[in-house]
Amino acid sequence: MPGEEIYHLSVTELAKRLESKKLSPLDLTHAYLDRSQRLGARFNAYAHLMPETAIEQAKAAEKEIQGGHYRGPLHGIPYAAKDLLAVKGLPTTWGAKPYADQVFDYNATVIEHLNRVGAVMIGKAAMIELAGGMGYRFASASLQGGAKNPWDTTCWTCGSSSGSGAIVAAGLAAFAIGTETWGSIICPSAFCGVSGLRPTYGRVSRYGAMALAPSMDKIGPMARSAEDCARIFAAIAGHDPKDRGTVPIDKGAFTYSPSMELHSRPLKVGWITNAWKSLAPGIAKPIEAATRILKKHFSGVKDVALPVGPWEEAGSIIVAVECAASFRSLIRSGRVSELTDPLGQIAGYVNEQYSAADYLQALKVREVAQKKMDSLFDTFDVIAAAAQPVPATPLTLNLETDLTFPDPLGAIGNICGLPAMSVPCGFTEKNLPVGLQFVGRAGDDFAVIQAGRTFQLHTDWHKRHPKIH
Amino acid sequence: MGNQSDSAISRREFARRAALVSAAASLSPSDLLRSESTAATRPTPQAANAPKLSPQGQAEVESRIQAIFSQYGNRLTDSQKADIRRLATETQPPLDRLRAFATDNGDGPGLYLKPLMEREKKPSPTPQKPANAPKRS
Repeated sequence: MPGEEIYHLSVTELAKRLESKKLSPLDLTHAYLDRSQRLGARFNAYAHLMPETAIEQAKAAEKEIQGGHYRGPLHGIPYAAKDLLAVKGLPTTWGAKPYADQVFDYNATVIEHLNRVGAVMIGKAAMIELAGGMGYRFASASLQGGAKNPWDTTCWTCGSSSGSGAIVAAGLAAFAIGTETWGSIICPSAFCGVSGLRPTYGRVSRYGAMALAPSMDKIGPMARSAEDCARIFAAIAGHDPKDRGTVPIDKGAFTYSPSMELHSRPLKVGWITNAWKSLAPGIAKPIEAATRILKKHFSGVKDVALPVGPWEEAGSIIVAVECAASFRSLIRSGRVSELTDPLGQIAGYVNEQYSAADYLQALKVREVAQKKMDSLFDTFDVIAAAAQPVPATPLTLNLETDLTFPDPLGAIGNICGLPAMSVPCGFTEKNLPVGLQFVGRAGDDFAVIQAGRTFQLHTDWHKRHPKIH
Repeated sequence: MGNQSDSAISRREFARRAALVSAAASLSPSDLLRSESTAATRPTPQAANAPKLSPQGQAEVESRIQAIFSQYGNRLTDSQKADIRRLATETQPPLDRLRAFATDNGDGPGLYLKPLMEREKKPSPTPQKPANAPKRS
């Protein structure tokens, strides 16, 4: 049985051992499954484990690798997928009681892509019910209960990719797939001290994924390093005729090799001066240290202010209206009352009331924001800020009243479909992770990956992991 | 283009965004850190904390509330009705700010990556790379 450290190795490291046959996919899968069975419930990390499927996939990977047919860096690597991705014949609950018995007879495109490269799915990651689309007041808004942060189990992982964050941080799988409509990859990555990539809108097919706000939904990897995220992104990116939101064939695919960075231009970084109103004391210090790293290892770091406008208001309207449309039958049938969270039980009724004129005004505002942000990226390759202004919050916090602050970067990044990455950049005095966020121009996912990778070449925060016994 | 709004709304989490619960009191991160777990037992904000609306805004809110209650009232508890009233009220100021942002008749609804597509139709605004600059993916 592998030792403790193997659970926290990067995909890149695991792949080397698997390719060289020093590590067996079957042993690795058994190890992660055992650990997940032992520890998953402690963090409310999984919606369900899939040992039979995982073993079957691991055996196939083992046979192929032994036979000399190595498919690439994800071959034989165990992972978890957020429970809003359809997996043929297995429950896909969307984290919500009304869908507790839902089973699809097909795989989401992302799952198909990961099957194709030989990755091993060991389970479905817990999530906030309906990815938070109906609103939620408490971290407990999930079929599995509130996801507990492996760094401090009295704290939350953030949502809505709550289980995905816990799984990667606790070393229950080598990586996880998350989704973001607004904050659901970046925030859990920051709270859990993992690396998370929110791809450009349309780079990854949503076919087979729960729709929340179709004009803003995105799927991306959460892993142990920016490099891992790049490798996973390369496997799942690409045009998909089944998802009309995906970008054209020539712009969808993504290829990655570490050597690409050697030949890349030095990145011009804009440090965002108005991303957050203020930073919590525990956040400020690591962020200051991170800016020193940026100034030392990036070609130029200059202050930049985000354009000012009603981006949050526009994003909120878009999410509210599209979510009300996505879950129209749930709202109208009254089955929203089966949701766990008191806010989720009623917010859909309010969201149904917005007018088409207001929705279209929000879309027009989005176009204004897109143009302003595109101009900004004429000067900078990436812009950067703290991923979150606070560390992981108490599990019992009332999110509606006590976790409130403006988030213009999250708003503008998500309504414009911009790629972003959160990488660990330190810890608070209470040993809670702090994240640094890079945001890039639409389509330039490589820039945010390169930024994260460059930062991680000069730091080791991403190699830290919680002590779990 | 458009007027600028400096009224950053007080909201971070998805729940609040989806529900447009944007006018609630804003806490600084340090306040948040002090709030600890007792916060979960706090009552939701009372009507006294509700934003002050114009008569037109108030009428609009009432119209939305009545639409909800007429359609769904029989399935809602009094507590839920009060919560809906609060939500509907708190969502009005952000709506007003959104509407106040000037857009031109010709501004189209924002389609994702439209700038990306448009960029390819015009010369690059960035300086040309040196001839020996390596290609990026």
